Order: sequence, then structure tokens, then C-alpha cells
Amino acid sequence: MSSFRYGVSLYSYTDDFGTVMTLADAFDHVADTGSTGIEILGETSVPLYPEPPSAWIDDWFAKLERYKLEPTNFACWVDTRIQIDRNMSVEEGAAQIAQDLCLAHKLGFRFIRPKFGVIDHDLTPDPIWEGSVERNLDLANQLDLVILPEIHSPTPIRHPVTDAYVKFIERTGTKNFGLMIDTGIFQDRPIDHWGGGITDEIKKGAMSFLNGINTPVEHLEDVIQYVPFIQAKFHCIDENLHDHQIPWERIVPMLKKLGYTGYLSSEYEGKRDPWVAIEQVRRQHALIRKLEEEYDAANTETANA
Amino acid sequence: MLERSHIQSTGFRNVGPEGARTGFEVRIRQANYRSSRLSLIEGVDIMVDGVLYPAEDNLFRLGDKGYTRDELNEATQTRLYVGDYFTVVVPKEGGLERGVHLVGSAIHYRHPYFPPEFQPAIVRSERHATIILP
Repeated sequence: MSSFRYGVSLYSYTDDFGTVMTLADAFDHVADTGSTGIEILGETSVPLYPEPPSAWIDDWFAKLERYKLEPTNFACWVDTRIQIDRNMSVEEGAAQIAQDLCLAHKLGFRFIRPKFGVIDHDLTPDPIWEGSVERNLDLANQLDLVILPEIHSPTPIRHPVTDAYVKFIERTGTKNFGLMIDTGIFQDRPIDHWGGGITDEIKKGAMSFLNGINTPVEHLEDVIQYVPFIQAKFHCIDENLHDHQIPWERIVPMLKKLGYTGYLSSEYEGKRDPWVAIEQVRRQHALIRKLEEEYDAANTETANA
Repeated sequence: MLERSHIQSTGFRNVGPEGARTGFEVRIRQANYRSSRLSLIEGVDIMVDGVLYPAEDNLFRLGDKGYTRDELNEATQTRLYVGDYFTVVVPKEGGLERGVHLVGSAIHYRHPYFPPEFQPAIVRSERHATIILP
């Protein structure tokens, strides 16, 4: 039976990285989960981004070889409101994406996730997204990369933002643009420890961020054909492998039923005490692997009955 | 590597000639999870023992270069990396007294991917830190 691929985003180790964790430490932690993929944040993980020293690039490939990991997604940003009094033009947005495509390719990645600036509370991306991406479709094709905006809480699957991305794919017929699902959209219980840099003002003004938007997992069926990569967002898994916010017991069977075989790339966003993330990521891998095996066992029995 | 707290113990010191201090400075690690274009940092307020030193009066220094708030807005291609720190230089005649102070910081970050009503996002931190040389 086909299987998920397992990976970890180094976003999980936010605040550890640079205070109590080096990139070599991070590779060790990711590899020891049994993962085959490593996801990075270009601006965080790559020294002197966007122009890392060549010695660092050599070391990057040496680490991939040593730890038997493949680069998966390269997270990047299009800082549309680049100055307090000025927004980026389409040309600037396109240049930013081109720069990230080239660096991601140089480092061996298959996907980039540009995070666009937004214009409203629904996270509608700045309108420059479309022109900026369209100007890069040929480059992405040449470099064998797929550009993936993320569908991230509070934006659900059935929403004009997602619809606009799907329309773009249908209009252009491109294979180099798709959707990344962030599993935070399935959150159905409140968060007590947010590790996403949220402030008191945001907590007061945006309860949807904390309570979860509880997108039905069945809605995955609408878009799964456009989803080659999933960020497995989570906030807290206890010692009984019980996730306090994300309903993996519903997400995993749905992804299996839909035949998803791409990456689940851990994105821990919980309590930011030193080293907590290392153990939290391991619990998530144990939990999802357990649910996947249970699904496979049940369906093998059904097939054999 | 840096201390976990945003405000660092090292780097908290008076500036200017001994006996005629012109102010003090505070070292703060990059508190964001990704590197920031300096144009996305709208300034840093500092609090010491309950007294506010507002961002508009302070100088932001990265490496050897100082930036006013207007100069930060122009620095679209200069980045504050994760694992690096910056220094806030606060003008205060006479500087701070020797001893332990309660120091607070409020970094005004503009995250373009946050809804407009949450820009800038203010990241606060507070700790005790020690001035050795008055």
C-alpha cells in the first residue's frame, strides 16, 4: 500500500535555532525521526540569504548526504508592504520569486512556498501575486520547481482565496503551481501555547487564530489534485500521543482515502521553551505513523475479507 | 550563540565618556523567526525601571551602522538575520546608574502577511540586566 512521505520543517525549531541549536543539530534531530525530507526557511536557515557562501553550500550537500535527507520545500516571502509608505510592484514581486526559485534550485529543493503579503483579515493576498507568479512559470518549469502558496488558517479550503489559486491553475494549465495545505485549518480546539510570534493585541482581536476554524477534512477532496505537499502544523501532543488541537484521527484516514502520497512536513508551533520542539516533533511522527499503519491494516483486512 | 531572552545581558552598557555619559545601549537578539529586512522594523521602544524611551528618539544599530527610523524604512535590502542581534542606542544624559535594572523592549515589526489591523505587531520582552560601569 502506498505511503505518506515524512519530513520536518525547521520552522519547528524556531527560537532554538540560533540560541541552543545549530543547523547540524537540526539535521540530526530531523533524520532521527525516520524522515526522508527536510524543509527550510530560506531567510532563516541560509546564512547571508540570498547569497550564501559557497563553502556553506558545499556543507549543505554534505549534510544531506550524511543524514540521508532530501530537500523538500523552501519557504520564502514576498514582502509586499516592503516600506511603511509603499507596496511592492509586480516587477519586484516577480524578481523576489525568481530569486527564491534560483536559490531553491541551487540547494536541490522541489517546492517553494512564497508567503505573500495580505490585504485583509481573510488573508487575501496582495493582487500582485498573480502577475508575479505568472511571470515565473517558465522559470519554475525549467528548474523543475513547483510554486505553492499555502492555505493557512483563518482561510479555509472553500474560500475565494483558494478559488482564485485554482482558477489560476486552470487558466494557465501550469504544472508548476499548486496548493500547500497547512493542517492548522483543521484545528478544532483552542490553542493554549502559541509559538507563532503572536502578540497580546492579536490574541484579543483575532480569536479565530486561537480557537481554530475547523475546516471539514472532507473538503480536501475538492482540491487534493492540486496539493503535492502538506505542512503538518500542530501545537501540542501529550505523552499519550493525543494531539490537543489537530484531529489527526480524521485527517490521516481522509488523506489515505484520497490517495495522498506526498510529504507531511512537521510544523510545530507550540510552546517555545528550549528543546521542547525536538520531542514534540517526534511525538507527531509516532502518532501519524501509528494512524497510517492502523488505516493500512484495516483496509488490508477489508480487501482480504 | 545568544541568550534565549530577546534582551541580552551582554551589551547593556552606558555610552559616552566616563563622567559625562550621553546615554546607554541595549543588545537584543532577532526576535522574529525569519530574517527581517530592516524596512520591516518600525522602531524599538525601551523601558528601564518604569521609564519609557520611545522608538522615535532611539538609534537602531546593526554591526557598525546606525539607523534612524526613516533610515530603517529605506533599508529594504539589509537584513537582520536569525541568530544575530542589533543594538538600541538610547540618549540619556548621565546614562544609567551601576546596578541591576528592569529592562523592557518593544520591537515594532511589520509583517506584510498579517492582516493590516495587526501591523505593526509589537513584540515585547522584559528582564533584569546589569550596568557595570556608570
